[in-house]
Amino acid sequence: MKKFQYIFILLAMTVVVSCKKELEEKPYGFLSTTNFYKTEADANAALIYAYSILPDLDYYSRNFIVLTELPTEDVASAAGKSADEQLLDNNTVTATNGVLAPAYQFPYVGINRANLVIKYVPAITTGITDSAKNEILGEAYTLRALHYFNLVRLFGGVPLHLDPVDDISQTNLPKSTMQVVYGQIISDLTKAAGMMDENVRLGRVNKVGAWGLLSKVYLTLASAKATGSPGYDWVTSADDMYANAKQYAGLVVNSQTVYGLDPSLTNIYDVNSKFGPEHIFDASVDRSGADEGQYSKLPLFFYPNLNFRLPDGVFVPGGFNEFLTEPGIYNSFDPNDKRKTQLIISTIHDVGDNGGNAGTTMVLSITDAQYRPFSNKFNDSGWTAGQQTSANTPILRFSDVLLIYAEACGPTNDGYAAVNRIRARAGLGNLPPSLSVTDFRNAVIQERSWELCFEGNRLFDLRRSHQMESVLENVYGKTITGDPYYFPIPQAEVNQNPNLNK
Amino acid sequence: MLFLFGADTALAQQKVVTGVVADKQGISLPGVVVSVAGTSVRTATDSKGKFSISLPLGQNTLVFSFIGMQTLTVKVEPGKNDLQITLENASRDLNEVVVVGYGTAKKGDLTGSVGSIKGSDLIKTPASSVDQLLEGKVAGMQVITSSGQPGAGAQITIRGQGSINADGNPLVVVDGIEYGDAGNLKQINPDDIESIDVLKDASSTAIYGSRGANGVIMVTTKRGKVGQSHINFSSLTTLSTLQNKLDVWHDPVQEATIENQANINGGVVPLFTGQTYGGTYYPSLDELRGLDPNKPKWPYNTDWADLVYRKPISQNYTLSADGGDEKTRYAVSLNYYNEQGLNIENGYHKYTGHINLEHKLKPNVTLGTNVIITQTYDYGQELSASRSIIFPAYNPDGTYFHIGANDFGNPLQTAYTVLNTSKTLDLLSTAYVSWDIIKGLNLRAQISYTFGNAVNDNYQPRDATNTGNLFQGYGDINNYNNNHVIDETYLTYDRDFGKKHHINVVAGFTNETNITRTSDLQGHGFVNDVLNDQNLASATTQFISNGETKTVLESGIARVNYSFLNRYLFTFTSRLDGSSVFGENNKFAFFPSGAIGWKVNDEPFMKNITQISELKVRASYGVTGNQGIQPYQSLSTLGSYKYYTGTPGSTSFQTGYGPPYYNDGSNVNSKVFDGLENKSLKWETTSQLDIGFDLGLLDQRFTLTADYYYKHTTNLLRAEQIALSSGFSLIEVNDGTIDNKGLELAGNARILQGKVTWNVGANIAFNRNKVISIGGGENIESNGADIESIRAPLNYYINGQPANIFLGYKFDGIVQKAGGTNPVDGTPATVGDIKYIAGGPLPVGQGEYIIGNPNPKGYYGFNTSVKYGQFDLYVQLNGVYGNDIFNFAKFTPSAQLQAWTPDNPTNAYPSVNSTRVYYASNWYVESGSYLRIQNVNLGYTLKPNLIKGVSNLRVYFSGTNLYTFDKVGPSFDPEVGSNGQNNSAYLKPRQYSLGVTISF
Repeated sequence: MKKFQYIFILLAMTVVVSCKKELEEKPYGFLSTTNFYKTEADANAALIYAYSILPDLDYYSRNFIVLTELPTEDVASAAGKSADEQLLDNNTVTATNGVLAPAYQFPYVGINRANLVIKYVPAITTGITDSAKNEILGEAYTLRALHYFNLVRLFGGVPLHLDPVDDISQTNLPKSTMQVVYGQIISDLTKAAGMMDENVRLGRVNKVGAWGLLSKVYLTLASAKATGSPGYDWVTSADDMYANAKQYAGLVVNSQTVYGLDPSLTNIYDVNSKFGPEHIFDASVDRSGADEGQYSKLPLFFYPNLNFRLPDGVFVPGGFNEFLTEPGIYNSFDPNDKRKTQLIISTIHDVGDNGGNAGTTMVLSITDAQYRPFSNKFNDSGWTAGQQTSANTPILRFSDVLLIYAEACGPTNDGYAAVNRIRARAGLGNLPPSLSVTDFRNAVIQERSWELCFEGNRLFDLRRSHQMESVLENVYGKTITGDPYYFPIPQAEVNQNPNLNK
Repeated sequence: MLFLFGADTALAQQKVVTGVVADKQGISLPGVVVSVAGTSVRTATDSKGKFSISLPLGQNTLVFSFIGMQTLTVKVEPGKNDLQITLENASRDLNEVVVVGYGTAKKGDLTGSVGSIKGSDLIKTPASSVDQLLEGKVAGMQVITSSGQPGAGAQITIRGQGSINADGNPLVVVDGIEYGDAGNLKQINPDDIESIDVLKDASSTAIYGSRGANGVIMVTTKRGKVGQSHINFSSLTTLSTLQNKLDVWHDPVQEATIENQANINGGVVPLFTGQTYGGTYYPSLDELRGLDPNKPKWPYNTDWADLVYRKPISQNYTLSADGGDEKTRYAVSLNYYNEQGLNIENGYHKYTGHINLEHKLKPNVTLGTNVIITQTYDYGQELSASRSIIFPAYNPDGTYFHIGANDFGNPLQTAYTVLNTSKTLDLLSTAYVSWDIIKGLNLRAQISYTFGNAVNDNYQPRDATNTGNLFQGYGDINNYNNNHVIDETYLTYDRDFGKKHHINVVAGFTNETNITRTSDLQGHGFVNDVLNDQNLASATTQFISNGETKTVLESGIARVNYSFLNRYLFTFTSRLDGSSVFGENNKFAFFPSGAIGWKVNDEPFMKNITQISELKVRASYGVTGNQGIQPYQSLSTLGSYKYYTGTPGSTSFQTGYGPPYYNDGSNVNSKVFDGLENKSLKWETTSQLDIGFDLGLLDQRFTLTADYYYKHTTNLLRAEQIALSSGFSLIEVNDGTIDNKGLELAGNARILQGKVTWNVGANIAFNRNKVISIGGGENIESNGADIESIRAPLNYYINGQPANIFLGYKFDGIVQKAGGTNPVDGTPATVGDIKYIAGGPLPVGQGEYIIGNPNPKGYYGFNTSVKYGQFDLYVQLNGVYGNDIFNFAKFTPSAQLQAWTPDNPTNAYPSVNSTRVYYASNWYVESGSYLRIQNVNLGYTLKPNLIKGVSNLRVYFSGTNLYTFDKVGPSFDPEVGSNGQNNSAYLKPRQYSLGVTISF
């Protein structure tokens, strides 16, 4: 009997032993901020995490293009697509429009990740060279600036987070003014340009990218001030800003050797030429990725929902037919403009045949309700099935910066030379000489619409040049209801951030 | 516990009486204690129910007592020495034992609200898990079986929805093992169940502390009974059929006409014009009618329902043996369950083994073990029959026909080529020692170990599914295993103090560790589809993920029951829980409760009212919790994602790390960035008041139990949306209050007793659910992401409203005159479109309204049984009323035939239109009330021992899900999930079963 008692007491004891320590959680398979940011590899991984938000479907691989292209004369939303897209196409955007929330949130996800790099990487002291550290930090500053540049152009003044959020008490910052936000963007890019090298790394940004972005920021301020675009009264001098834009665009155009104009237009958009001279900064994807965001479905937005072959023989296994090219952009091209004849597809072949050569040929009409000529800027010649493509979304191309340079220079020899290089590549003659400053700059902005259409630039060009109503309503007959220059801050932010307007 | 005493009494033997004891069905009862009133002379019946007892001189009254039966007193008439004794079931015997958690209680002494079901009342219908059998059985417990897929579980809610993001399922306790959530308790063979007790009020569930808030379901499996052994065999063979004819196309001309019209109305070229489009020839209407002079009549009219549905036969066999003597008791059983789905190539197999052993090592020490092993295998998937009937199933060469190159909807190809299997193995085991230290004091130590393993195999060939095509062959093997160890030690002290006082005290400690490991192996891109997922290493791209979670729960339990004069009952229960899943500031939680009961009928002033056999008034109040959140939610966690920095074609992704944790919802706009720590995260707290009474009349012939409850849940565990500008989406917080108030009634009546017996039982519960506050003020939270077909969420939480209400626009008929715009998307309103009214009071979309409430006003069950001679009949009905269903499948083919046209300017249905976008509106909302004839069971029992050696043989016919009275269309079932969405779930079969049970 005694034996049982001992066994029993033993059994009971196994249970009575209890302490708080056992209740502490030690997560399995998760890194935490305390055991991370120790080595160069950690610093690099933190930076890559910051980059990885760029090609997300809710950022550059879908949503950003949807948000910036639908309101313009570039594309319309096809029948049967969502109400949010229809309303965006009609420039009737309310705070509950579902396209806005990701366009607002995802830059902040990227900002938070960049802030983590900016906060933690400087403390890494062993096993990392100063140049590697500076490169990583410079890229993080550039990413932060890019996100704020997108936010301020889309929404105006927004909360300015410069430290990583790691506690709920830090989540509700008030809006900063546009002046403060732009000040931070310029400061970050200037700092970044001094920290980075000129080496080309796919999907990443370097010193030239920071110069290019800085020139785009200054040009935005310059043209907005010059044209009286709403929200930019605080800019002191348009001319100073044009000069700054010219200075930094000039560094890209004249003071570096890694980027330049690609003589072939189609080569720019060839997924096998991602190291081509025009790619200063891309949101990078590959069709072998695990999910959308690592690969892109953006080409499918432009392609008809049919199986067909492109004129160059590349097979397309079906698109979404989400965007319909608007007659506005299509008819504005010179008929001989190679950017129309080479980059917009109006005849498709072997329609309906699943990769064979047996189907019919279809000629697409710009007035058709269902299928129209479509942009082939986003494509993938290695795509054979499924929906995964390797189509990068350009964030900054050389021709973009060259046109920034032209616009900043104005009707000078340098300015004419820059814009005429673009026109020559497109098979067009030079701009008429002796244009007035305003006419020249408007001509360059018009040139930008042909050169950069479907790439998420047109909306910002129209906003900064104060032409939303004059072009979209008066020229192309689109409707605008509400504020054409800034989207409303999404309702979800208004609901959850009580300090927003404090 | 029964005690056997030999009949070797020294008293003078004057008369020997023999006889047989059986129950109402004529099943002989072994182990019935037969005693001579006023003496210590006792015996027990043998395995055939026979007994022989000597009546001492001057004694002529025998008392027959047996657990679960009413005690019978019989006067032995002179000259009659051979007795036929029939014991009545004591369905409401006040001495019936109820399992209450860390102990048992007599039903008559309960102060809390507990619903009990006997195992013998469960096994009337075929079911893969016990949960489905509980529907309509207990007042206040709602069981929703929305899927008819073999192996599918049910959704169980006790006393209304009291949680939002956290787990709202009741806790299931199997033989003292805190097993987990209710919903799919497939591990237990219903034939093995002795009883199920449902703990509903706070006093009853507080002993389970931070897991008690949603109620507790106590499952007790069968033990051997003292007496001689039994061998039982039962068999149930079931034929399943569709409940109703499906609403699909039957006439190709009708289908093509509607399709063409839908395209024309949608601004798209009509297809059925005799053209080849996308590689497929679309016949013209004339060709379909056989009126085209140049073409033969179109040969196809594919009956998809006939191809993908079948009338399968399913089987269920149980072989069991039980018995025991004074020292050792045993029960063992084996079960094979094979359920074939209504869809082809879809089925479920299950093997269950159960062993229960209990041995008295010493007079005061008992050892026991209980082991359940279950293996399941299911295969196949739900198939759709709503495919175009104009096209054939196969090409002439025998390959599967696709409508165009990107069509992956051929259900036969899915059925026959997509691999989708799941194998599970579960073990529940317990070993315990029970030691009566001194009189009244018992120490019990129990160690339980459960193990669960699941392996899912999935392969989708390149031309069979969209995913298969997307990845050119998609293979996935998912592994899950779970180890759960529970140590429990507790003391029970049970004593009378004098004649007036009785106390029962339970106190102890428990410690639980629960570890789950998972891994997932995925391959994308295979050379061909021959090997399925057998060689994932050969895939072009491989993805691996793995994880482990560990939770620890340490608790102290205490319960004091005190009764005074056996009339005034007091219960105090509490549990202290320390849980690892909570934030570091809130690791421990205390859950107290108290209850009082007053047995009014035992008061002296009631003595003369003999008609009232029970009248007890009860009240309880207490606090329980819900800790049903995932581990590590309180911590700051880092996520990882890949970014491509290589050259095209080669896999050169780099992996990035950092906050926030990245949770890919996979759909557009559904990504979640979480992982922001909350050190104060804690349990949900439910305080519950329960007031009730139990009334029994005429020796419990008529009984009624009524309970009013008020459940007030605060600190709701939920993922709160935070400012988008934080870079995070959500944080786990305790915020919000939800109330459930209700009334439960359960009654039973033995209307006829005697030659014909007729019992009627009924229960109904009325629950009112209200979200009191979430996120403060006018906050509105959606439950779930955008739903593709309405491009918005449907269910919302709004302060002051029931949970999960539908938001949408008002349906204002059909646009009969062109002009104006659609207020939802700003497009021009065209004739035949749905006319919406926007600008409603809620700041969602373009101003939405509340358009429906999926919470039923009441849910009820009704059963009746009639026995006459050897025949018995049992009928069970159940239903709900007062709830709304959002019927996504409203525009069925038969509805499309009534669509708006210029000649049919109806306001019921819009025109057909292939490109129209639909928005949530009350056009979709239908009444969800229904009454279902759940089961009719007709049995015949052979007279005992008619066949030599067979003590019982019953043959029965059972019809399940026989008819449903409802207000929804015939092709779907109104029993949808608690969010009220009808999403064409796997159809539930109507079943006809033939069963046999034999006991030897």
